[in-house]
Amino acid sequence: MGQILLAGKNFDVDEDGFLQNPEQWDEAVAKDFAPTEGITEMTEEHWKVVRYIRDYYLKFGVAPMIRKLCKETDCNLKRIYELFPSGPAKGACKIAGLPKPTGCV
Amino acid sequence: MSNKRSYKCEKVIERLHKKVSRQILGSLEACVHCGMCTDQCHYVLANPGDVSYMPSYKADKLRKLFKAHIDWTGKKFPWWVSARSLYTDDELEELKDTVFGKCTNCRRCSINCPMGVDMATFNRMARGLLVSVGVMPQGVAVVAKDQWEIGNQMGVLKEDFLDTLQWMQEELQSEYDDPSIKIPIDKMDCDVVYSINPREAKYDPRTIADAAKIFHFAGENWTMASEGWDMTNFGLFNGDDELGGAVARRCYEATENLRGKKLVISECGHGYRSTRCEGQNWGQKDVNFKMESSVISMLRYIKEGKIKVDKTKNPEPVTFHDSCNNARSCGLTEEPRELLNMVCMDFREMYPNRAENFCCTGGGGAMSMSEYTPRRLKSAIIKANQLKETGAKTVVTSCHNCVDGLSDLIRHYKLDMKVTQLVNLVANALVVPEKRKAAAEVATLVGYKILLADDEADTLAFFSTVLEDNGATVILARDGDEALALARKEKPNLITLDLSMPGKDGGEVFEILRKDPELSAIKVCIITGKPELRRLIYDRPVTPPEGYLNKPVANEELILNMHKILGVAHDGKKK
Repeated sequence: MGQILLAGKNFDVDEDGFLQNPEQWDEAVAKDFAPTEGITEMTEEHWKVVRYIRDYYLKFGVAPMIRKLCKETDCNLKRIYELFPSGPAKGACKIAGLPKPTGCV
Repeated sequence: MSNKRSYKCEKVIERLHKKVSRQILGSLEACVHCGMCTDQCHYVLANPGDVSYMPSYKADKLRKLFKAHIDWTGKKFPWWVSARSLYTDDELEELKDTVFGKCTNCRRCSINCPMGVDMATFNRMARGLLVSVGVMPQGVAVVAKDQWEIGNQMGVLKEDFLDTLQWMQEELQSEYDDPSIKIPIDKMDCDVVYSINPREAKYDPRTIADAAKIFHFAGENWTMASEGWDMTNFGLFNGDDELGGAVARRCYEATENLRGKKLVISECGHGYRSTRCEGQNWGQKDVNFKMESSVISMLRYIKEGKIKVDKTKNPEPVTFHDSCNNARSCGLTEEPRELLNMVCMDFREMYPNRAENFCCTGGGGAMSMSEYTPRRLKSAIIKANQLKETGAKTVVTSCHNCVDGLSDLIRHYKLDMKVTQLVNLVANALVVPEKRKAAAEVATLVGYKILLADDEADTLAFFSTVLEDNGATVILARDGDEALALARKEKPNLITLDLSMPGKDGGEVFEILRKDPELSAIKVCIITGKPELRRLIYDRPVTPPEGYLNKPVANEELILNMHKILGVAHDGKKK
């Protein structure tokens, strides 16, 4: 396990850089996470996606299907990949403070 | 040394006896410590001087146990053959660190061993022993649990899965402005049942859309199953043959229930190996259909002229990364290259390649074991150098695990490369035929008599207008009995049959038609608004219908299907 300095605080992260304690997340953390996933600036569109993932995770304990994400945020698939170059599973979920998704990802 | 053994160690040793097959026995006995395996392993090459990564060293950890409990030499002179049993849970943890964290079961050392020692096979056996006492990385436990309990490795629920397919179907229809493009679900008697990796549904369904596009334009009679569609198998990674068998059986049964003729497996190395090569042994089940990789299907569509491709659409230099499971364990090496040369302008080999290629470092389930990520990325320098030397901007691979393993290391070593799969390149190079508007303008159905049986007046009116505009002679029946009477009298070429009608329902009419020697040659197309009644037709002991459509049916879709059933080309000529 390692540590990462985000928004002036130290956070425990797993070896893939995902937060160990998702409840420590806040928007300042997301902002500092963004550049590590190839995002120069968090726009309103980014926030919409990140907040949706975050809320879904808090409610159901898992990351949402990409289908739900696109439907609820009015972003098509292509746009999601433009917004989050490392993809929804690794990029967007990490910024939203989720633990690493399970399975072949 | 204490001889007291922990409960878990007791169990591991007890189960060891059952796990040692002839293949494993041969591998345990045959090693002559020649060291040929050492330089084959990417972990060793990236960590020179660290013996703990050497295949022979890792193998000896297990060999000691085997000598202590099974081999006679270990019983007679244990000190001489280094026999050593397991006693403590710490020792099990240490073993876990080796078999899960220092080997991706890539089999590169196995195929380069002059004595035929299959290191990966007994590494997998050791994983199985540990898993049986609950010693495994957490990520592996979570995925295995989802596969056992929900039926796929990412816990995708059925309604979400179906919703995703529907979404991709809508995207395709709007992309081509063509409502006849479908992602059929649970269609009976298809030539192809297509199975995928849950990752495609959960995070990146672009590969599903691309595959659907290719099947559609190739005119394939295909479907996906609403259950048993996951062809991945964590049983291969965690060494649990029971899980492996259960997962594989689920996938086979889905194809059997749909009476599919072939199970096509999307581009996934371990899924292909598990489903096509290992699953029948694990699941103790014979299958009566063929199985093939989608790579082979796509190649055949091009060779048979079913789809046309334009390689200038993929001009940038690409290289190909052979997945360990595909290349080393299943021999799938030439077909992807043949296909690449058909759809890309500039294909460059990576060296070494084919069965000698190095692992992406994410194999054997490593992508789900975060605790070993730093090791994985360190050993990935071997792969990174291989990639860099090709000078390609894109690396293509036929494995989802490799996609993620490669993406990770490309990022880590800042290689500025893209990762993609063959299905994406083929779909991108696809030359889509001119929209089939000709059908609406040319009277393609002249000379054909079509009987429409449906109790809804609107449906009859719509279908008859469309078909008559295309030159067909149309006869109408409002219930089952009328349909039979008219069929006997008029002898139409084709009957469209609604399922729920007053009097005799569509199913009964269908069976009577099929059993009557005078009527059995008439082609039948079932058109229903209740797809759940499909069984009423397909369970009957007669030849299945020539066509099957779900309402609502669009204009073009109707004509297209009439053409297909009657064997008429879209320009009106007989095929």
